[in-house]
Amino acid sequence: MAIVEKPLSIGTSEPVLADRPLGVLTRPKGGNGWRDWLSTVDHKKIGIMYGVAAMFFFVVGGSEALLIRSQLAVPNGQVLSADPYNQVYTMHGLTMVFLFVMPLAAAFANYLIPLQIGARDVAFPRLNALSFWIWISGAIFLNSTWLVGGGGADCGWFCYSPNSGVVFSPSHGVDFYAIGLLILGIASLVSAVNLITTVINMRAPGMSWFRVPVFTWMMLVTQFLLLFALPVITVALFFLMFDRLFGSQFFNPDTGADPLLWQHLFWIFGHPEVYIVVLPVFGIFSEIIPTFSRKPLFGYSFVVFSGIAIGFMGWGVWAHHMFVSGIGPVSVAAFSLSTMFIAVPTGVKILNWIATMWGGKIWFATPMLFSVGAVTMFTIGGVSGVTHSLAPVDTQQTDTYYIVAHFHYVMFGAGALGLLGACYFWWPKIFGHMLNERLGKVHFWLATIGMNLTFGPMHILGLQGMSRRIDTYSSGFGFALWNAVATIGAFTIATSLLVFFYNIWKSKKDAPNLPDPGPDPWDARSLEWMLPSPTPEHNFDEVPEINGLDEWWHRKYGYDDDGNVVRIATVEEAAQKGDATNVHLPSPSFWPLVVAIGMPLIGYGLIFNLWLAVPGGLATAGALFAWALEPADDPDAHHGGSHDDHEAPALTGADTNEES
Amino acid sequence: MTDQKEGSSSGSKPVIVVAVVWAVLTIATEILLASINFHPYGASREARISDDAFDFLMYLAAPIFVFVIVAVGYTVIFNRSKGGDADEDGPPIRDHKVFTRTWLLISTALAILVIITPGFTGLDELRAEPNPDMVIDVRGERWNWNFTYQDTGVETQDKLVIPVDTRILFRVTAADVLHSFWIPAFRIKIDAVPGRVTETMVTAEKLGTFADDETSRVQCAELCGVGHARMWSEVEVMSKADFDAWLTGAGG
Repeated sequence: MAIVEKPLSIGTSEPVLADRPLGVLTRPKGGNGWRDWLSTVDHKKIGIMYGVAAMFFFVVGGSEALLIRSQLAVPNGQVLSADPYNQVYTMHGLTMVFLFVMPLAAAFANYLIPLQIGARDVAFPRLNALSFWIWISGAIFLNSTWLVGGGGADCGWFCYSPNSGVVFSPSHGVDFYAIGLLILGIASLVSAVNLITTVINMRAPGMSWFRVPVFTWMMLVTQFLLLFALPVITVALFFLMFDRLFGSQFFNPDTGADPLLWQHLFWIFGHPEVYIVVLPVFGIFSEIIPTFSRKPLFGYSFVVFSGIAIGFMGWGVWAHHMFVSGIGPVSVAAFSLSTMFIAVPTGVKILNWIATMWGGKIWFATPMLFSVGAVTMFTIGGVSGVTHSLAPVDTQQTDTYYIVAHFHYVMFGAGALGLLGACYFWWPKIFGHMLNERLGKVHFWLATIGMNLTFGPMHILGLQGMSRRIDTYSSGFGFALWNAVATIGAFTIATSLLVFFYNIWKSKKDAPNLPDPGPDPWDARSLEWMLPSPTPEHNFDEVPEINGLDEWWHRKYGYDDDGNVVRIATVEEAAQKGDATNVHLPSPSFWPLVVAIGMPLIGYGLIFNLWLAVPGGLATAGALFAWALEPADDPDAHHGGSHDDHEAPALTGADTNEES
Repeated sequence: MTDQKEGSSSGSKPVIVVAVVWAVLTIATEILLASINFHPYGASREARISDDAFDFLMYLAAPIFVFVIVAVGYTVIFNRSKGGDADEDGPPIRDHKVFTRTWLLISTALAILVIITPGFTGLDELRAEPNPDMVIDVRGERWNWNFTYQDTGVETQDKLVIPVDTRILFRVTAADVLHSFWIPAFRIKIDAVPGRVTETMVTAEKLGTFADDETSRVQCAELCGVGHARMWSEVEVMSKADFDAWLTGAGG
C-alpha cells in the first residue's frame, strides 16, 4: 500500500539542555524513515499502520477463503483433506474478524477520531502505539502457528469445548488460538480505554455531545462494547489455556464440567463482537451518505440513540446462537424476543440513511456507491438475521450454510464493503491524492456481484441441508450447482481486490499529474476536512470553536432569508493552512514496541518451554519500567514544524495532549 | 408507509411514484414468494411448522425489503447530480417526526406480531403433544450415530428407521465431543452434549427413504473433528406395520 512518508521536520535550533526535566532516559527524536514509524506516537501514523497491516491480513484471510471455496467447488473435492481444511476455515474466520475488519475499523478510528473532535492526538499517545504493536505481535503470533504450531487451530472460530481440548485437538493450533486472542484482546482493551478517554475529554470547545460526528459516536459505543466484552472472552480463553497447558478441568465433561459454559462465555463476547464490527460501519455510512446526498443526516439524534440502544441490547441476545444446544424453553423464548427487538433500532438506521438520500442531490462517487451498496447488502443480512429469532425456523438454519450466508452479508456486505468505501472516502485526507474513480467503480461492482454470487447461494445450500464446516459432500446431496456458483463468486471478489490494489498503485503514480484534491474534495461536513491533505503532523493550527453539528459545513454554507443554502466561504478561506510552527507534540517512544515484542515470546514460552517466557517477561516488564522512567515531556524532542518557540503553546487544548 | 414524505421539497409526486412502484413490486414479490418453494423435502409435522413460519416471515419481509429497494432506487435514479457542483444542495431536512414515528411504530408492531406468531405459537406447537409413543436413544460418537429403541434393546448404527404418524422422542447424548443431531427433512436439530441428555420430538408424516430424498438423513451439524462431514446416517420412515416387522426382524 502506498504510504506517503512525511519526514519529520527537525528543528535546527540547538537543544536547550538546561531545561531537561528529570528522568532517567531520553525520548527518541523520531528521525526519518523506519525509525520514525517504529517509534511514532502520532495517531495518524498509527492509523495508517493499522490500515496497511489489516489489508495484508485481508489478503491472507482471502487466500484462505479461496482455498475453502476451491475445496468445496465440486463434490468430493481433493484440494484439502479434512484436517487442513478445518484449520484453514478456522484461521480464515479468525483472520477476517480479528485481523482485518476490526483493525481496519481501528485504523479509521485512530486516524479520524482526534480529527473529528478537534484534538491534537488521542488522550494517551504512547498507549495508542502500544495497542498497535501488541495487536501486530498478536497477529503475527496467531499466524505463526502455521510454521511452528503444527498447523492452525482446527476448532472453528468459536472453538467449542470439548472439541478444543488436548485429547481432540492435539496440535498446538488451539494453544495459539487461545494465547493469540488473549494478546489481541489486550490490544483492543488498551485501545478502548484510550479512545473512550479521548472522546470524553478531548472534544474541542463547544463540541457538546450532540455535536459529535456520528462516526465518532459509533466508535465510542464500539469501544464500550469492547471494554465490557473482552474481559468475558479473556476469562474463557484463560480457562481454555489452563485446560490445555496445565491440565485444569474447566471444560472437561468427564470431570463434571458443562461444555455449555464455553458457549455462554464465548457468545456473551461473540454477539457484541458482531456489533463491534458493524457499528463503525454504521458510523461510516452516516458520514458518507449525507456528504454525497448533499443533505444533513436525517434524524441525527435517532441514529445516535439507536446506536446506543444497539450497544445495550447487544448484550441480551447471545443465546440465540444456542437455540439447539439444549437450553430451556424459557431461555429460548426470552432470547427470541430480545433478538427480534434488536432489529428495531437497526431498522431505524436503515430508514435514516434512506431518508437522508431522499430528495438529495446525489453524487455517485465511489464512496457513495460502496455505502449504498453496503446498506442494501446489510438489509438482506438483516432480513435473514430476523429469521433466526424464531426458534422453529432457526432450528433448521443454525449450524448450516444459511448462517454462513447471513453473517457474510453482514460481515462482508456491510462490514468489508463499508470499510472499503471508507478507504475511497478518506484516502485523499490520509495520502493527499484521490483514488481513481473509474477503477473504484469497477472494484465496487466486481465486489458486489462477487459477494452476491458467493453468499447468496449459501442461503439455499443451508436450507437444503448443508452443514457448516463440512470439508466435502457427496454428489448425491444436490449441493454441486450452488457450490460451484459460490466458488466463482469468491474468485470474483478476489479479482475485485486486485483491482483495488492496482488502483492504489496507479493512483499514486498518477497523482503528480492530477490537480491537488485540496483539503475538502468531497465538499464534506466534519472537521477533518478543514485540514490540508494529507493532514499535517500537528492536525489543527488552531483548535476550532464548535458552534453546531456539521461544523465544517456551516463554515462553508449558510442560509439566506428564504432558508435556501448559500455559500458563505470557499474551502480555501475556511480551511486551516497547516502551517503552524509552535505546536508542541508528544515525543516518540520505542518502549511500546518493546513491551509488545515481549508478549508473543511469553506465549511461545507457555506453549513450548517456559524458559522462553523469561526473555519475553523481561522485555515486557523492563520496557514498562523504562516507559515509566522516560520523561513524559521532552523539550528536546521534535515538534511539528520548526520548533522555535517552546514557551507559548498558543493553543487551547494543547496542554491536555500531553502524554499518559 | 407511503404517505410520510411530505417533508420533501419536491412535493408529493415522488411519494406517489414510490408508493405506486412499491405497491406493484410488493404484490409481484408476494406472488413470486408464493410460487417459489424455498424448502427441501419436508416429511414431518415439525417441518410444516418451521416452513410455514419461514414463509410467513418472508411474506412480511417482502414489503419492507421492497420499500428499501424502491426508495433507494428512486433516489439513485431521480436524485442524482453530476457532482462537484458545490453550490447545489439538497433540502436540509433534519427530521420528520411523523415519518420516523410511523416507521418505529410499524417496525415495533411487526416485531411484536412476529415474535408472538409464529415465534411463540410455533414454539408452543413444537412442544405440544409432549407424550411420546416411542423413545429412541441417540448417541453421537466420532463419527457415527447410534440409535437404541427403548424397551426393545434394538440398536442400529447405519440407519434410523421410524414409523410414520408416531410421536417419537429422541433422547440425545454424545460420547466424546459435541455433535448435533439434525434430520433436514424433519427440520429438527438438537445438540448432542457429552454428559447430558437433550431431547427433541418429531412426528413423521410421509413414508420415504434416503434414496427417495437425500434430506432424509441424520446429519451431524456441529464440528466434531475430521470426520464431521461424513458423520451421517440414512433415515427411513416406514408404515407402522412394516416398522413392527422390521423391529422384530432386528431382534426386538
